[in-house]
Amino acid sequence: MRLSSITTFLVAVVLAATAGNSLAAGGNALFKKNCASCHYTDGPAKEKTIADQLAKKGPELWYAGSKFQKPWLLAWLQNPIPIRPMKYNSLTEKNTGDHPKLSAGDAAAVTDFLMALTSTEVKAGMLNAKASVMGRKIFIKDMPCSGCHAYAIRGEIHGGKSGPSLIGASKRLNPDWIYAYMANIKVFKPVRDMPDFSGALATNELQDVAAYVATF
Amino acid sequence: MSKFVISATLLLGMALCASNPAQAVDAKQVFEFYCAQCHGLKGDGKGINVGPDFATDPRNFTIAKDMEKRTDADIEGVIKDGGHSISKSPLMPPWGATLSAEEVHGLVGYIRKLCQCKAK
Repeated sequence: MRLSSITTFLVAVVLAATAGNSLAAGGNALFKKNCASCHYTDGPAKEKTIADQLAKKGPELWYAGSKFQKPWLLAWLQNPIPIRPMKYNSLTEKNTGDHPKLSAGDAAAVTDFLMALTSTEVKAGMLNAKASVMGRKIFIKDMPCSGCHAYAIRGEIHGGKSGPSLIGASKRLNPDWIYAYMANIKVFKPVRDMPDFSGALATNELQDVAAYVATF
Repeated sequence: MSKFVISATLLLGMALCASNPAQAVDAKQVFEFYCAQCHGLKGDGKGINVGPDFATDPRNFTIAKDMEKRTDADIEGVIKDGGHSISKSPLMPPWGATLSAEEVHGLVGYIRKLCQCKAK
């Protein structure tokens, strides 16, 4: 009886793992068919020049599993509310919110595929969201972060439009990725219109900013 | 014969320079990619980021009488080290770790074209 229970359990585990793998494999195929014309997933970063960056139709996703939170990604793929005020790579055209929507099943498969794409640059479990006074001071006053990124204070929207909005970052972004991105931005995005702050801010300051942004 | 060799060498050198993208900085492209988000595509200080949160407007590069007061070294310095470095707006980022020396130099030249002026 006991042996039978163990066997049943093991079979269930194997089936679950197989189902997970096949879902991710299905996600890979779905991604190639529907998403790969705008997003690339085979890192490391390919862009070497401004022209390379401008040729991209959407953000690179080769580190999506380190960047995003899974529940957010699953929901967003089914209801893709714009994150960027402006069309990708444009300073003149607004984001019309025309990102394709996926069905619940397809979104689950693509989410599994994307969440498996991680970067070794992101050390997991280092940071948590924290309303850091220093992080707030750097973000709003000392550094130009708010000049390009939208954020909200008590429901009031502030900030610029050229960068992705950080409103809802607490649900969207992994705090460890926010820090890693600022600390080693060239690895993730060699050519981008965001400055490299790794020399302007100390490690603890970058961590404070990352923890603060993760509260948005 | 020696004249031919010298001419051929010069031509080859010029061709190599022209084909090396690292040496060919397109200052207009650099400006439009990095600077225009705040300074505007025309350099008039009316970029898409400018809003009520900006304590001061970004520099309008088309006003010659303002830009004449700044030396090329002043402009280069603020591009590299940001507004904070000269007690101006911290919304002007430090681009020194992002841009190459050639790109910064090219931007100074492009800004001088926008103002059609030199330092006085």
